[in-house]
Amino acid sequence: MSLLEIKNAKLKLEDKDILKGLSLSVNSGEVHAIMGPNGSGKSTLSYMLAGRDGYELESGDVFLEGQSLLEMEADERARSGLFLAFQYPVELPGVGGMSFLREAVNSRRKFLGEEELDHLAFVKEARKVASKMFVKDEMLKRAVNVGFSGGEKKRFEILQMAMLKPKVSILDETDSGLDVDALKIVSDGVNAQRNDDNAIVVITHYQRLLDYIVPDFVHILSDGSIIKSGGAELALEVEKNGYAGLINAA
Amino acid sequence: MLHNVRDNYVISVKDHVSQFEEKSFRKLASNDFKSWPSPREETWRLSRLGVLSRKEITPIKPNLKKQISSVSKFNGSKIIRFVDGALREDLSSKLPPGSSLNILGEEDSLKCFHKFKDSNLKDHPSTNVSFSCTPSIVKLTIEKDVKIRDLFEIIYEGGDDDSSVHPALYIELKDNSSITIIESFNHLSSLIMPIQLVELKKNASINLLKIFNDNQQSYNLSANCTFLSEKSNYNSFSLIKGGLFTRSETHAYLKGENCNLNLNGVYLSTKNQHHDLTTAIYHDVPNCTSKQIVRGVLGGKSTGVFQGKVRVAPDAQKTDGQQMSRAILLSENAIANAKPELEIYADDVICAHGATIGEIEDDQLFYLKSRGISEIKAKQILITAFLKDIINESVEESIQNFVFEEADLALSEIISKEK
Repeated sequence: MSLLEIKNAKLKLEDKDILKGLSLSVNSGEVHAIMGPNGSGKSTLSYMLAGRDGYELESGDVFLEGQSLLEMEADERARSGLFLAFQYPVELPGVGGMSFLREAVNSRRKFLGEEELDHLAFVKEARKVASKMFVKDEMLKRAVNVGFSGGEKKRFEILQMAMLKPKVSILDETDSGLDVDALKIVSDGVNAQRNDDNAIVVITHYQRLLDYIVPDFVHILSDGSIIKSGGAELALEVEKNGYAGLINAA
Repeated sequence: MLHNVRDNYVISVKDHVSQFEEKSFRKLASNDFKSWPSPREETWRLSRLGVLSRKEITPIKPNLKKQISSVSKFNGSKIIRFVDGALREDLSSKLPPGSSLNILGEEDSLKCFHKFKDSNLKDHPSTNVSFSCTPSIVKLTIEKDVKIRDLFEIIYEGGDDDSSVHPALYIELKDNSSITIIESFNHLSSLIMPIQLVELKKNASINLLKIFNDNQQSYNLSANCTFLSEKSNYNSFSLIKGGLFTRSETHAYLKGENCNLNLNGVYLSTKNQHHDLTTAIYHDVPNCTSKQIVRGVLGGKSTGVFQGKVRVAPDAQKTDGQQMSRAILLSENAIANAKPELEIYADDVICAHGATIGEIEDDQLFYLKSRGISEIKAKQILITAFLKDIINESVEESIQNFVFEEADLALSEIISKEK
């Protein structure tokens, strides 16, 4: 059984067809990259998967470990093990990083039937994970994403991913706004979480990120559906020839 | 028809005072008593008392043996308890040295009455009614140079259906004294008309936390009159969450230079509740600061009102007056009103005001939900964040948690009703 299965997904935004029958199957232990030009539907795909209001499928279905996501709200999907790393992480003035993380982690633990962590146990765990992500204690004390640099925001996203231990992570343009050093830190953070029980879907414009997070499969998304799939070498082809050649061939 | 019922309350107030001597403060007050303010009066335009005038209400006869079940939430606090509007010394704590509680005699009561009558609260409905009907005016005095370390808790409770209660409190802080007081209103009455006079002498400082949590059918028309002397500091924070209709009106007179006033508040409203924070700040002398920060959270068909007037007299140069009101609407049927009013007659002053009314941001809500946090919990987190800076800024650190807990209780109810 696939960990994540998207079946013939169709979605309209303001009467415009955005996803036009997209199918994808992701098994545990795999890393998939979805590449595509601007306007191909990449961000729509990630919002649709995460369950944002207004991004409901017109037809088709999505399954996480065999269970349909369509009737689930965004929070239920997350508790079930789906994680979206945002392209533009949202600032939450007045919401402390540590208490936010604890609320999120305990929601997931409760769902899994695990004991919720008390404040002390949680702080200890969070600091341990944070230090690996080069996230300073001081950042956890601040309001979520408020005044964070681009790199800090992305590191904080991956820190959340590490704390929540999702089954499937969708990384939406995680490389945008990152310099090479930050890109390496974030990628190392992601790679450290690869294992046989989870899966990662990397959504990106550029091949660059895939030098650091090496995918097992690469898919080209164009005009709302996947027009070509292949191995890591497909990303290099995009880098060399651009999307146009692939799209015309398809 | 309406007039008859209104007149009935006037008659029952007059009946209540018939037992007093002609020159008593009660009689004098009742002679002035007109009627409920009409919606044509500017400060009552947004807060109408129409429904109230259709109720049959009579002033309560305090039951001085009434047992109460409420307990304090603070260890070691000094409790002053009013039941049915009357001070219950048997249910109050022994006060620490340098502080005292007295029931004012006729002459001092009259003086207190005149201080109210000389202020712009003279036509407030609670002014005449409560001076007529209060069992007694209670005075809390803090002596010169005394810094009270104990937390004082003033609990107002009691009352019953179709009655009005009239607690009257006069707080005087003498030179260089200071105190922190939590007042909570937990009545069962239809109508609650508390009056409070606060006088801060030179360099005196008061922290006042007021929690309005009367039962869901009641009207609370609280009238507070405050006088600040040189270098004194009045720092108050009101949390309004109870009652069907709660209006806390405060008039502050800045009479001495270099004094500082904070009149902050939060209202949390749901169902048909109407919550109103009305203030009037009179800068009569130079070099004083005043600040008002108000936050409102509204669900259901509730209404919130903030009206704040700042008057800067011609001589009051170097005044710094700030006013900021923000409200979040959780329902399409809720209404938030904000009405700042600046009257500035001096030319070298800083006065600013602002008001915003908005909703919870979709982006923020989605971000929290995408982390597995339920919608109800996510809204609670965002609203608590919205209230955080004002509570942290206005309330003493040791009682901030208490205020957040009190707010959380109301927020859970408001949010759960919106789903």
